[in-house]
Amino acid sequence: MAGKEVFALRINGREREVFARSDATLLEVLRDDLALRAAKRGCNQGVCGACTVLLDGVPVRGCLTLAGACTGREVTTLEGLAEDPITRALQETMIVSGGVQCGFCTSGMLVTARDLVAQTVTPTEGDIRKALSGNLCRCTGYVRIVEAVTDAVVALSQANTDTREAIQ
Amino acid sequence: MSFVVSPTSVDEAIAFLVDNPEARPMSGGASLVAMKNARLIEASHFVSLARIDSLRGIRRNADGSVTIGGMVPHRDTAACDLLDGDLRMIRQAAGQIANRVVRNMGTIGGAVANADPAADYLPVLVCADAQVEITGPGGKRLLPIRDYLVDWYETALEPAEIVTGIALPPAGSGPSVYRKLARTPGDFATVSVACARDGDGVRVAVGACGPAPLRAPEAERALAGQLDDPAAVAAFCEALVALADPVDDVRGSAEYRLTLIPRMVAAAIRDVTGGL
Ligand SMILES: Cc1cc2nc3c(=O)[nH]c(=O)nc-3n(C[C@H](O)[C@H](O)[C@H](O)COP(=O)(O)OP(=O)(O)OC[C@H]3O[C@@H](n4cnc5c(N)ncnc54)[C@H](O)[C@@H]3O)c2cc1C
Repeated sequence: MAGKEVFALRINGREREVFARSDATLLEVLRDDLALRAAKRGCNQGVCGACTVLLDGVPVRGCLTLAGACTGREVTTLEGLAEDPITRALQETMIVSGGVQCGFCTSGMLVTARDLVAQTVTPTEGDIRKALSGNLCRCTGYVRIVEAVTDAVVALSQANTDTREAIQ
Repeated sequence: MSFVVSPTSVDEAIAFLVDNPEARPMSGGASLVAMKNARLIEASHFVSLARIDSLRGIRRNADGSVTIGGMVPHRDTAACDLLDGDLRMIRQAAGQIANRVVRNMGTIGGAVANADPAADYLPVLVCADAQVEITGPGGKRLLPIRDYLVDWYETALEPAEIVTGIALPPAGSGPSVYRKLARTPGDFATVSVACARDGDGVRVAVGACGPAPLRAPEAERALAGQLDDPAAVAAFCEALVALADPVDDVRGSAEYRLTLIPRMVAAAIRDVTGGL
C-alpha cells in the first residue's frame, strides 16, 4: 500500500516539500523530515496530547492527522509560535512556577493552553484543568502547570491594561 | 495515486469507494488514524470527506426538523443553538466527548459510523429518535438509529455507503439532559443516560451497557403520568436493567454498571421533571 509521495505543505508560514510515506502522519513528517521536534511522539493514539499542533489555527493531534490531508492548509507548530505573545507569557510562567520537569509534555501543553487563553477571557482553574485534561504529564502532578497558566492570564491582562493606559 | 484522496462531492467519494473496495472513508481521522497507527487496519486509501461542503453545517429544515452534517465536529455541535429543548442533550453530549482538541477533530458522522457502544452521541441520538442519513451507490436512505445500530461495533452500513448526516425531529419543548459517568472527565463513559421530557412522560436511553443504547418504549408508556411516583420510576429503571448486557472492562465491572443504571436513570428523570 504505502509507497512514497511528495507533499506540498505550508508550515509555520513557509512552503515546504517533503518526500515521505504516502500514509505518513503530520507528526512523522514534522519530526522526521522537517526536524521540527517540538511536537513529541508519545502514545501515537491521540490520548497523551504531546503532539498537539495547529491546523488552520485550530489545535489538533499531529499523530491522528495525515500529512496527505494537510495540503492547502496552514500548519503551525510550537516553533511557529515563538513570537506569539500568549505563548511567550506561558513559557515564562511555566519556567517560574516549575511547570516543566522532564519536558516531554510541555510543547503540547503550551499549544493547548495558548488556545484556551486566546479563546477565553478569564479562564477559571476548572476551565484550565478541563482544557488540559487531554494533555498527560507524568511528572508535575499538574498543580504547577495550572498555576503557570493562571499566572500567564494575570500577566497578559496586566500587560493589556498597561498598553491601554499607555495609549490613553 | 495518493494514499489520502480528497473528493469534493459525495458522489465522487462514493464512486471512489465503489472502484476501490479496500479504501476507507475518513472524517476527522480521530479513530481511523489511531487504528492505522496501531496496525489494526489495512487500507488501500483513506477517502477524506473534509473537502465536501455539503457535509458541513447544522441546519433547520422547513418542517422544523434539524439536520447535522456528517462532517460537523463535536466542537460545533456542542455550541449549536438550534439544539434546544428536548434536543439540548445532544449539545451536552457533544461537549463531554474527550477534550477540546479531540472535539476539534472528531465528527458526528465518524462517531456514528464507528458506533463505539460507549460513544456519547449514541444514547442521545437514540433518545431523540434520530435518523441516520446514509448515501451510497444506490442513492440516499434514512434509517432510524435503532435499526442502524445492529450489534457490537456493527452497523447497517453497506460497502461504499457513507453517513452523510443525522436527521433530528423538530425540537420539542423539553427539557432534556445527558448524564455521563466516567472515571475522569474526557474518558469514555462507564454508563451514560440520555433523558428527554415528552408530554407527561419521558424518553430514556442508556449508553455503554450493551451493543447499542437501551431503550424501553413500553415501559416509557407505562411511566407516563407517573413521573412523581417513586415506585413507578423504580419499576421503569428495572425494565432498563433487564435489557442491559454490559461487559467487564477497565471502566467498570458489569455488576457495577447494573448498579449504576437505576441510580443514573432516576437522577436524569429528576433533572427533567424539576423534582416533581
Ligand atoms: C483520545 C480520544 C478520546 C476520545 N474520547 C471519546 C469520548 O469520551 N466519547 C466519545 O463518544 N468519543 C470519544 N472519542 C471518539 C472521537 O470523539 C470520535 O468521535 C471518533 O474517534 C470518530 O472520529 P472521526 O469523526 O474523526 O472519524 P474517523 O476516525 O475518520 O472514522 C471512524 C470510522 O468510521 C469510518 N467513517 C468515518 N466517517 C464515515 C462516514 N461519514 N461514513 C461512513 N464511515 C465513516 C472510518 O472508516 C472509520 O472506520 C475519543 C477519541 C480519541 C482519539
